[in-house]
Amino acid sequence: MQDVYLLVSGPLAWAAWTIFVLGSIYKIWSTLNTAKQKDQVLLNYVSFKYGMRSIINWSIPFNTVNMRLHPLFTGVAFFFHIAFFALLIFVSAHQIMIEEGFGIGWFTIPDAVADIIAFAVIGACIFFGVRRVVRPEVSYVTDWTDFALLALVAAPFVTGVLAYHQLGDYLTMVILHMLSAELLLVAIPFTRLSHMLLAPLTRAYIGSEFGMVRHVKDW
Amino acid sequence: MRHKLHRYIIFCSVVLCVTLCSVSAFAQEDTYLKVDAFGSLERPVSMFDHDAHNEKAMIEDCAECHHVYENGKLVEGESSEDRGCADCHTLKAQGNQPGLRMAYHKQCKSCHVEKKKGPVACGECHVKR
Repeated sequence: MQDVYLLVSGPLAWAAWTIFVLGSIYKIWSTLNTAKQKDQVLLNYVSFKYGMRSIINWSIPFNTVNMRLHPLFTGVAFFFHIAFFALLIFVSAHQIMIEEGFGIGWFTIPDAVADIIAFAVIGACIFFGVRRVVRPEVSYVTDWTDFALLALVAAPFVTGVLAYHQLGDYLTMVILHMLSAELLLVAIPFTRLSHMLLAPLTRAYIGSEFGMVRHVKDW
Repeated sequence: MRHKLHRYIIFCSVVLCVTLCSVSAFAQEDTYLKVDAFGSLERPVSMFDHDAHNEKAMIEDCAECHHVYENGKLVEGESSEDRGCADCHTLKAQGNQPGLRMAYHKQCKSCHVEKKKGPVACGECHVKR
């Protein structure tokens, strides 16, 4: 069992990060390449100023008309994304492993606080799942892969909470925690989770069109 | 006769005291690591039965764990068994000398990984009670 833990926390982690980084570069490159081949006009009109203007305005909670029309979804979505990265970076167990491996350390959040945030993140995942069923406009564009991806996103948090509370076989849970996080990392460039990489591009494109061509705000 | 009995009792008491004292000088009877230096703890304290561990791991040489470093280099053949980790390792790292938490983690885990025996994941040592 220790061998499995060492495999998952060592070579597999390196493999997952490598696939994630290379896959991300490929995804961004191939998207830009497709745009170049199919829609050169689009690229001619991309503007840094209007692109950034749109990205910044859409990064501020409740700043856009659409966000104010859906306050609950906006609140949960902003919380989820911030909490996701906050836990990833500032959970003490993560930071300790990085410090042991690379010799760099930083501020961590207390475990009790991280625990509450993790529960809330799982709650947010359930909220997103329910929303996909009950909102007709969302359910119309939903298939099973959306639920599978949502389950994959929730998996590291569910296993993380179970491991932290030492429920179930501890080592199995930690291994599943790392394994699910590695799967998630690998899935980012190749699934709709690639919005993490592409959202700034789509935002910049829409912002450019609205700002430079139509001379209106896009938020 | 009474006089002899008194002397015998005193002799036995002295022998008993000396034996008990010397036992505690060579052995550490705690089943948990000494972690007073940390103040309040984030995770449950690690269980560590010094003698049971060393018997199981077949460690004879104290310096296996109680090492001595001078100018960042391990001094071979020197041991610091009269000291605990916190006597040298402060909470914060000092130059190349790891901080106390890192010292505990590295000391235990590096050997467990090397020997492919013993706990390596967080909750294997920090067991909830």
